[in-house]
Amino acid sequence: MTIVIFLHVLYVGRVPQRSVVATKRRLVSTRERIRSFLQRYGIALFGVAVAFASTLLVQGLFPYPFLFLFFGAVMASAWFGGTGPGVFAVLLSTVVVEYFFVPPFHSFAISTSAEAYFGAFVVCALVASWVSSAKKKSEVALKHGLDQLEIRVSERSAELMKTQAELAHLSQVLSMGELTASIAHEINQPLTAVVTHGHACVEWLSANPPNLEKTRQTIERIIQDGTRAGAVLSRIRALFKKEAPAKDWFDMNEVIHELTVFLRDEATRRRISIRTDLVPGLSKVKADRVQLQQVVLNLMMNGMDAVAETAGHPKELLVSAREEDSELIVRVEDSGIGLDAEMAEKIFNPFFTTKPHGIGMGLSISRSIIESHEGHLWAVPRPSGGAIFQFTLPIRPKESHA
Amino acid sequence: MPELRPIIFVVDDDASVRDAITNLLDSVGLHAQVFGSTEEFWRAPRPDVPSCLVLDVRLPGVNGLDFQETLEKSGVSIPVIFITAHGDVPMTSRAMKAGAIEFLMKPFQKEDLLAAIHHGLERDRLWREEEAQISALRERYQQLTAREREVMDLVVTGLINKQIGAQLGLSEVTVKIHRGRVMQKMEATSLAELVRMSDKLKPRIHDRFF
Repeated sequence: MTIVIFLHVLYVGRVPQRSVVATKRRLVSTRERIRSFLQRYGIALFGVAVAFASTLLVQGLFPYPFLFLFFGAVMASAWFGGTGPGVFAVLLSTVVVEYFFVPPFHSFAISTSAEAYFGAFVVCALVASWVSSAKKKSEVALKHGLDQLEIRVSERSAELMKTQAELAHLSQVLSMGELTASIAHEINQPLTAVVTHGHACVEWLSANPPNLEKTRQTIERIIQDGTRAGAVLSRIRALFKKEAPAKDWFDMNEVIHELTVFLRDEATRRRISIRTDLVPGLSKVKADRVQLQQVVLNLMMNGMDAVAETAGHPKELLVSAREEDSELIVRVEDSGIGLDAEMAEKIFNPFFTTKPHGIGMGLSISRSIIESHEGHLWAVPRPSGGAIFQFTLPIRPKESHA
Repeated sequence: MPELRPIIFVVDDDASVRDAITNLLDSVGLHAQVFGSTEEFWRAPRPDVPSCLVLDVRLPGVNGLDFQETLEKSGVSIPVIFITAHGDVPMTSRAMKAGAIEFLMKPFQKEDLLAAIHHGLERDRLWREEEAQISALRERYQQLTAREREVMDLVVTGLINKQIGAQLGLSEVTVKIHRGRVMQKMEATSLAELVRMSDKLKPRIHDRFF
């Protein structure tokens, strides 16, 4: 048997030499392989030794050779060591059993009466070894499969998160698209004023004598209007930017106010009145301003779409913000078509939409944004008709305000 | 008619645009009166001078295009020049069909705006002259007796005195006397002029004053 082991080591250890580094690496791995080999066959040796010792102790109690403990040694060897050590344990047990426990004792001869018994032992030992190593193999394969699955799941969820972030940006761009007219208007007004003042400036200078006082006043207005156009642009750029969440302290009232101004034209065009009910001096919240802006914008746009579909009622949107139990509560109420309790949950599912051109991501993304800020977003029917969308955000202690 | 200083009414919800237009018109010696909404303009008194309206399309409350219709329906005739930041073809065609002088995209060029304003003022001046003429004709027409009006209505259809007399049951001589009075009261020097007067009176009577 030692010869078998030695040959095995020689075979495994034989490696072609390519470079010093590769050789070193191979030497290390060869050493590891030898260690694992010795461990696995050592288990078989140890198992059989333990079975032998135990059997010697209890043999006196039974009228026939008590060999069951050897099955345990074989199964353990096959389980922990694999097929090779399993077979090795079977061989070892066979030799030991034949010599010590099969009559005539202390000889390799087998009495005719013990032949069947011994044969049965060898077959059982081989079967036990095979079953155990096969079971172990399938268990290992299963575990490997599970690991692979886990890796794939985590890969896919990382992918999904990336897609979701992209969709969040996309939906932002989409709702922006609807507002292009609004933006064009906002930039065009100061631009028109600048151009018109410019023409007037030429006229004042061409007068005889040139009217320098009027020219000066006009240029001052040009500067004012140009600055205003710049401010509009930087506000829009902030809305369009695709940035990693940057949490900062800010005033929710300010965000709501800005969006109200931003949506005013759109609302006027659709004959919707937007009212706000903002408690002055609200605690600041630490959150991603652009993301929160997106959520409020999305809720307001949804509200506008909802009231646009109603006929007869006054078309109203009410945006309010207040503080309660160390939470900030923002509500967007509309007098629109409203929703029932079942709908109130469904609408947050991805790709659920009631709009002909919607992609059904707005509310789903809004909810994940609010939840990533440790808040909640939900919808309830409005008692007097319409719907209320509200979200909460935790408020941190005031001293942390920078 | 004495030449009155024209007023350019400007309706735009953006204060800086209103301010700029006022400044531009001021620099070329035109007088502007500005409003933030159509409602404000509607409520304000409008002096009886040549005028035109520079109107933004997108406005709070009633928008420019709807307001143009409102003006038309209430019989207020004032030339309208539209200015807008985002006009499209349907918008433009609707405005022009409704009789707008011009449809300008913001930011507009001085020459375009001033040309449109002058065109508008010119049209208003013509309207006003015509209206003055018609109201003078109307006054004269009011002075005619019922019989004289009957005679005039038949004269302008081209009938001769004999036929008129037969229709109204009058003698030819009586018709001739009525006809002379009509020519005198309407201050018409020829039959052709009387026909033109009658034409001017008729459509206006129905379309413009009632």
